[in-house]
Amino acid sequence: MSVLSFAQWVQSTAFFTALRGSAYVYPIVLSTHMIAIALFGGMILLLDVRLLGWTMRSYTLSEMVNQLRPLKRIGFLLLITCGLLMAGCKAEEYYYNAFFRTKMTLLALVGVHALIFRRGVYRNTAALDGAPRIPAQAKLAASLSLILWTSLVIAGRGIGYIEPPLDKIHARLFAVPGAAAPAIASKAVPPDRRF
Amino acid sequence: MLVYDPSTNPLNNNEWSFPLLEIIHIASFAVSVGTIAVVDLRLLGLGMRRQSSAQLLKDTAPWTLIALAIVLMSGPMIFSSDPNMYLNNPGFIFKMEALLVAIVYNYTIHRKVAQSNPSPVVGALVGGVSLALWVSVVFGGLFIAFT
Repeated sequence: MSVLSFAQWVQSTAFFTALRGSAYVYPIVLSTHMIAIALFGGMILLLDVRLLGWTMRSYTLSEMVNQLRPLKRIGFLLLITCGLLMAGCKAEEYYYNAFFRTKMTLLALVGVHALIFRRGVYRNTAALDGAPRIPAQAKLAASLSLILWTSLVIAGRGIGYIEPPLDKIHARLFAVPGAAAPAIASKAVPPDRRF
Repeated sequence: MLVYDPSTNPLNNNEWSFPLLEIIHIASFAVSVGTIAVVDLRLLGLGMRRQSSAQLLKDTAPWTLIALAIVLMSGPMIFSSDPNMYLNNPGFIFKMEALLVAIVYNYTIHRKVAQSNPSPVVGALVGGVSLALWVSVVFGGLFIAFT
């Protein structure tokens, strides 16, 4: 099964067909995704700036990393759940979307980042607390994390700006008869000015 | 309605400016709401329990303020791209009302209570209201595109 036919199958399931047709569920899922970005994004930033030593120095790294870990997990779970729900709705369209592909690549890089720095930084905070200075490895981890998450936001916003190839795709948002809601595109910028 | 022609606005005459502004808006509200949420979650007793809420507020407040300033600059610029549409949009009106309440609440009741290291019940109430207000603002923002 090719990736494209898999994407077509996913979006054609009854669950995602219903989700796509609902004028309320999709916006709510998208809003919840944004809420999760806000909650999760703030925590990532605080942790990263602490690792860089820019702020919150009255807290040990252990306190920051260990106390934020459960909250970050909840936020990440919320992000991924909402993301999967939205991606499933428009899987075929997203298959052609360059920003979506970029975002998935960045997400994979986030996983790689976690694997690389887990042992030396995130699970090693007790040793880092005792170090006279924050080690370069921890600062590198924080810098890369900031770059990755900022890029994820940029790629995520970009997804909505790419017009789907209408001649190739089989399902659009709110395409169910009777659902009167407009397409997802922002009304602020007329379609002809969007790229 | 306003005597203003949005088609002269650079935001509407340049492919990249509008999405770039949106990204700045999103990234900075993530920082402002996220740092407020850390204090809220502490007030609710759900995280960072080894620090006091007063300490957390003191350390996150500069980040909240800087990010909020960027949000409040990028927001009106986005608004300027199509004022009449926004003024007639129920999602936008709701967002502005929620935002006004959220900001006033954040710098009055929320701040006073967080500084006083409140009892769990008061803390949970104040933190919960704060989270609900900021969640409403983000929801309102998203629904601009759907209403």
